[in-house]
Amino acid sequence: MSAPTLSRTSTRLTHRLLNPQPPYRCLSCCRYLAQSQEPANHSGPTPTTHFGFQTVPSSSKQSRVANVFTSVASSYDTMNDLMSLGTHRLWKDYFVRSINPGTRDCEEGKGKGQTILDIAGGTGDIAFRMLEHCTVVNKDHASKIIVSDINPDMLAEGKRRAREGGHDHSGRLSWLEANAENLHTISDNSIDLYTVAFGIRNFTSKALALREAFRVLKPGGVFACLEFSKVNNRLVEALYKRWSFGAIPLIGQLVAGDRESYQYLVESIERFPGQEELKGMIEEAGFLLPGGEEGKGWEDLMGGIACVHKGVKPLG
Amino acid sequence: MAAAVPLLHTRSYSLNLFGLISRIQELDRGLMNNDYHKATARRLEHEAPSPFSPTEDAILSAALAHVPTHGFTTTALTHGARDAGYLDISTNLFPTGAFSIVNFHLVTQRLALAKHASSLQPHADIATNIRSLALHRLHANKPIAHRWQEALALLSTARHIPTSLRELALLSDELLFLAGSTTVTSAWYTDRAALAAIYAGAELFMTQDRSKGFAETEEFLTRRLEEGEKVRGGLDMVGKWVGMQAGGLVDGLRSKGVWI
Repeated sequence: MSAPTLSRTSTRLTHRLLNPQPPYRCLSCCRYLAQSQEPANHSGPTPTTHFGFQTVPSSSKQSRVANVFTSVASSYDTMNDLMSLGTHRLWKDYFVRSINPGTRDCEEGKGKGQTILDIAGGTGDIAFRMLEHCTVVNKDHASKIIVSDINPDMLAEGKRRAREGGHDHSGRLSWLEANAENLHTISDNSIDLYTVAFGIRNFTSKALALREAFRVLKPGGVFACLEFSKVNNRLVEALYKRWSFGAIPLIGQLVAGDRESYQYLVESIERFPGQEELKGMIEEAGFLLPGGEEGKGWEDLMGGIACVHKGVKPLG
Repeated sequence: MAAAVPLLHTRSYSLNLFGLISRIQELDRGLMNNDYHKATARRLEHEAPSPFSPTEDAILSAALAHVPTHGFTTTALTHGARDAGYLDISTNLFPTGAFSIVNFHLVTQRLALAKHASSLQPHADIATNIRSLALHRLHANKPIAHRWQEALALLSTARHIPTSLRELALLSDELLFLAGSTTVTSAWYTDRAALAAIYAGAELFMTQDRSKGFAETEEFLTRRLEEGEKVRGGLDMVGKWVGMQAGGLVDGLRSKGVWI
């Protein structure tokens, strides 16, 4: 062994010994650790839910989801663009346009504007679009938006974007760190519009979140949800599965350096109930479904890859 | 004879292959049974159930009252929602927006025709009944006639064409049924198609009619219906003539020993 190689090896060794590196942290480790730490004896019937393809105790889903979003917060936009080939922007635009938030004649001083609650909207994607729709399309400068997310890292990302995009000067955006299943800081019958875009999938209990949505909404208020769903064409489905299970974790690994989070993402999409089931849940929570006789109560985007569900809280 | 059997077999096979005749017969049977029973049930019940939920009904009928001022627009829909005690955002209940008001008007007015049918002369002929019913239906457009062009514009957008055509077909069927038409021949189709065309024409005419009480629309409708009768009579005769000629041809060929 030549002298330079030896010295380099020794330097590396001493470096490692003197500065012990922090344990390598990523979601895959968290998942691995969580699995290894799971109690061996399943004596008590602990309530379980699914986390991707795994079945986990309900109590741990929240922290697991938190880990996923903490690790993806910074590369969120790039990843969304790559994974959906840019179409997530179209879906979000369409979602906001179809809801048409904002009241038309509030510039005449008649209306007070609306109170909009954007759940799981940490990065502000939907909130900024709604704010713009209110202001530009409906000339509504009064409506207010509460952006709520369970994850402080996602909220921080949203606040940063609000600053950069110049949205925070209006004073119409407020930020709330809360669990969608328990919105105790928001009073009953106080919200005009409740939106949740690509979030409901990650809720531990969807029924609980829907009940909470029903509680906070005013009579006549609207629940609107944009979420991945079941593709209704076999051929498209085959291609879509190929893409989501083959390409997305790989892109995650290459771009965000985190394969496991994106593996969770595609698994959670796969596990998420289809259109019919979610419609049933919304109906069960007490909402009126749009569309009447012919309407199905939902609207498929791109053949069902994503889907818009809406519900209106009835009067009285 | 041995040669004739495979020939027959081939022929029936080719018919089945294209499936034309059996398909048409099937379709005909299906349509007849279905529509006939539905319509009978409707007539027996007198009060057809509204396809709209109470909430939709409340908002849309309130919105319809705003159409003369705001037209068939989302503004009218929003005002309707407010009048019914709902919020502006509640209009999300109607994914088709302003078109839902148009559809509501068409469906409720079509269903309301059954009530008018009971006031028809008991022994009047079908043509008179059709005229009376069609006129009654046109008069239901009176309060919104100056806005009807907007509705027609919405009805003719690509997205809504299937609904529009179905609604027109249902209206034509309803008019003929209530007038007492009981045809079970191919005239079942031609009658409905002709009446649908005449009614749609009269509705379009009405949007431009500035005469008092839409008297010109009434005249227009009467003229078109008369023409329809004439054409129908002519077609009947042509049909009979073609049938006679075909029968004669077959007989002639048979007399020459052709196996038909």
